[in-house]
Amino acid sequence: MSSSSAPESRSARAVDEGDVRRGGLVGKLITLGWATPGFAWLGLYLVAPLVFIVLVSFWTYEQGVRSGFTTDWTIQNYVDLFNDSTYWNNMLSSFLTSVIAVVACLVFGFPVAYFLALKVQSLKYQIALFILALAPFWTSFLTRSIAWTYPLMGREGALNQVLTKLGIVDEPVQALGFSTLSVRLAMVQLYILFMITPLFFVLAQVDRSALEAARDLGANSWKTFREVVIPQAMPGVVIGSIFIFVLTMGEYGTVRVIGGNTVSSVGTIVQSKVEIGIQYPQGAASAVLLVAALVAGVFVITRFSNLREDI
Amino acid sequence: MQGPGRSGKRDWAKLVLGVYFVLFLAFIYAPLLLMGVLSLQGEFGSITFPFKGPLSLDWWRTLFDESRPGSNARAIREAAAQSVWLSVAAGAITALLAFSLSMAFRRRFRLDGAAFYLIMLALMTPGYLLALGTQLFWSYAGVETSLWKTALGTNVIWGIPFGFLVMLAVWNRYDETVEEAARDLGADRRRTFQEVTLPLVWTGIFGSFLFGFTLTWNDYDRTLLLISGVETQTLPLQIAGLTFTAAIRPDLYALGSATTLGSILVILVILVLVTLRLRVRGAGKVERVEEELGEVESFDIESLGGTAAR
Amino acid sequence: MADESIEEHEEGAAIAAPSSLRAQAAGDGLDLVGLTKEFPGGTVAVEDVNLHVDHGEYVVLLGPSGCGKTTTLRMIGGHEYPSSGQITLDGQSLVELEPHERPTTTVFQHFALFPHRSVRENVEFGLKMHGVGKEERRRQATDALEMVGLETLGERKPSALSGGQQQRVALARVLVTKPKALLLDEPLGDLDRLLQLRMRVELRNLQRQLGLMFIHVTHNQEEALSMADRIVVMNDARVQQIADPLTIATKPETELVARFMGDNNVFKGQVSAREGDRISVSTAAGATVTTVAPGAPHAVGDPALVSVRAAATRLEDGPSGVTNSVDCEIVFVEFLGDLVKLHLTSGEERLLVKVPGDAYDTLRGREGEQIRVAWKEEDVQLLRS
Repeated sequence: MSSSSAPESRSARAVDEGDVRRGGLVGKLITLGWATPGFAWLGLYLVAPLVFIVLVSFWTYEQGVRSGFTTDWTIQNYVDLFNDSTYWNNMLSSFLTSVIAVVACLVFGFPVAYFLALKVQSLKYQIALFILALAPFWTSFLTRSIAWTYPLMGREGALNQVLTKLGIVDEPVQALGFSTLSVRLAMVQLYILFMITPLFFVLAQVDRSALEAARDLGANSWKTFREVVIPQAMPGVVIGSIFIFVLTMGEYGTVRVIGGNTVSSVGTIVQSKVEIGIQYPQGAASAVLLVAALVAGVFVITRFSNLREDI
Repeated sequence: MQGPGRSGKRDWAKLVLGVYFVLFLAFIYAPLLLMGVLSLQGEFGSITFPFKGPLSLDWWRTLFDESRPGSNARAIREAAAQSVWLSVAAGAITALLAFSLSMAFRRRFRLDGAAFYLIMLALMTPGYLLALGTQLFWSYAGVETSLWKTALGTNVIWGIPFGFLVMLAVWNRYDETVEEAARDLGADRRRTFQEVTLPLVWTGIFGSFLFGFTLTWNDYDRTLLLISGVETQTLPLQIAGLTFTAAIRPDLYALGSATTLGSILVILVILVLVTLRLRVRGAGKVERVEEELGEVESFDIESLGGTAAR
Repeated sequence: MADESIEEHEEGAAIAAPSSLRAQAAGDGLDLVGLTKEFPGGTVAVEDVNLHVDHGEYVVLLGPSGCGKTTTLRMIGGHEYPSSGQITLDGQSLVELEPHERPTTTVFQHFALFPHRSVRENVEFGLKMHGVGKEERRRQATDALEMVGLETLGERKPSALSGGQQQRVALARVLVTKPKALLLDEPLGDLDRLLQLRMRVELRNLQRQLGLMFIHVTHNQEEALSMADRIVVMNDARVQQIADPLTIATKPETELVARFMGDNNVFKGQVSAREGDRISVSTAAGATVTTVAPGAPHAVGDPALVSVRAAATRLEDGPSGVTNSVDCEIVFVEFLGDLVKLHLTSGEERLLVKVPGDAYDTLRGREGEQIRVAWKEEDVQLLRS
């Protein structure tokens, strides 16, 4: 609901008109007042650390010096990284894990969102079932990761027990436990919410009578789905993909718990550089590359939709 | 919401999807359920199957009772307390900052596009990475990292974008003309904010608080690096510590189950509160078919005139 | 004593005092001088509006969407700040005052009731802001609710009320603060049709009995004609014409007013002859229209616009080519109960003729036929464009 002012005045009126009286200064001060605490906090705890990491990545590692590095400029850290094949292998594996996570969450999550948004009839049930699916995500990632390992996927875990008892395998499948496969499966379980939620919200806005109309006009179910539902779902897909891609690429704790020390993510790579040799500059360089990869990835994903207006 | 379905014909899609949904729920709840089951093992219970009975609450008791052998109760309790304080603080600050930032965005300003991406950057920056940067930055500046100086700060960064998005959604649905009406009726800027704006958006603020609280409660990556060695750990750190030192016993499962139940309880409480509030909002809509037919009472100006004469 | 005065007040209210007397008693009224509003980005929403409104007068700002009527209203209420010009009420300049400092209050199109407060609290709000005590507030609010017939719904929330009831709450809410002028932004827009018609009567009566200045914005021509003492027709940020409803309806001055009011036949043409004040215009359809327009600057050869009300036209047989008549083809015979609207075309021009409803029998089914439409010279208006 909006007042009946002329269309163009709505956006122009975003600044409180009363402020114009005093030459706009009071208005600007008020906006500044609202914005300052948040941006100050962001400046200190987000921007400063990130900028500093970039700086450190160009500085030189030196043992024994305070903080472990000097401020001599160098690109040696990046050079070393580029030549480090293990690093790239790990990066690739990490990247692959994230991509798989995004695709898997999309494939497995979409039917859930579709069911809730378009098949469940009353709003009450929609919300109730949504919350039911949602509740586990409120518990700690760590707790669920731990629960994932031994009880479920471990050598004597439930899954293996079932498989051996049913005779599907002769011996417990080792790989289910601390392995890349396990990490990838776990990622889906841990992050699928981030795909279901935006999809649910987006699909809930699809006009059901529009679907009926499409069917009236002769489109069969599959065609309706493709032409009507999918385009409208795209913003949700994009948002979900961004969330999952970014969060899984940055994963550290869960990977440690589920993968033990055998599986790497970019996070664990950064950590290894830092903790083992206290090689901050190199750790910083790999962190910067991670962020670059993230930005590139997000950029690619957003090509699929015009994101800002959808938010 | 109820479209004209194909009457009589079964909606096969709905059936299949319904079954899928149930399987999905099983997939999601499986680890937690298994963990719960394992926490009920007897004295010789181990970290995994097969289940070693007899069924008992022993392991749950060791969570609370320090005197039992091998109990981590004290460490756990202290860690939990630490987590609570940190999370409450983080939640409160997140709510405040998310709210104030959203108020700034309501008013539009130059560079608000870039500012928006900055907030989204807070969402996209991996926790471990940010923690590393913060640690480097502070130690280079000669200040030691600690729970309240850095862990809190970085956790709030994580919460802000979520809270901010919640507030954006709330403002989207908000009708600004009520503020104009309030101003019109004699309320100055401050009173309009107090009497009209805040009451209408407090649910968003509370939601931001919840986000900040929960995200911090569960945080591992950030707090790990930003806590000083001498301080009490938070609960996730404590749990992880126990995990890595291979001290996983069913009591850990009991702890996990307990926190899960706690989370679910909180959600249920909130749901109940929300439903109650919706119901209290007053009886349902008054049907006024007469109005459509143009039948209404005339205005009785006497009543108003009577006031003036007094 | 008090009772007597109420009785007197009631009787007196039925006979509206001449507006000029009331104006002198109450003050100077509202003055808009050179009021202009330009938005950042260059859009001019309101340009050079000049208007005087007396206390007790019912003025309607009428015009199509985007014409500037709402922005003008908002400037009076303080919700927009003028780029230039003056707004004075009883000699006091309002421009620098915030909305809450002004003696005006606004009824918003979608009512803007506070959803988190009960109906009674909504009505009490203005009084609370002005520091009225709790007991007194409650009493005045109850009186106001009684006036609008909602005294039983005081504890409900606005969302539980129908549209018409919400409007009444909105009215009670503003009237209880005893403003000097009431501003209404499309107040009847959200109501069902029959209720709209009924509320026109109620609202106008209310205004008369209160003796309060009402400034009402609408795009509904009928609403304006039925309720206003004076109508201000606006288009494209400017005032087109200010006059009482009869004049607006029968003597439109500009093309926009003629077209917007509907039911006017507007002819484009050229001045073919001029004898003193009598101007002959030859239209695109080949008809000749004459009118007597003292003071009009048109010379032979100038383009001209003339308009004739549909209700002032009649159907005729007889020879073609007579001045103030035109041959047309019937396109559609529209029966509206008491009235028949005949839609015709002549060349590229479209015409409208209104005849009484009983003529329907003789006109039904005659689409496609040729017929001649005629009118009197004194019903022709020469328009400024």
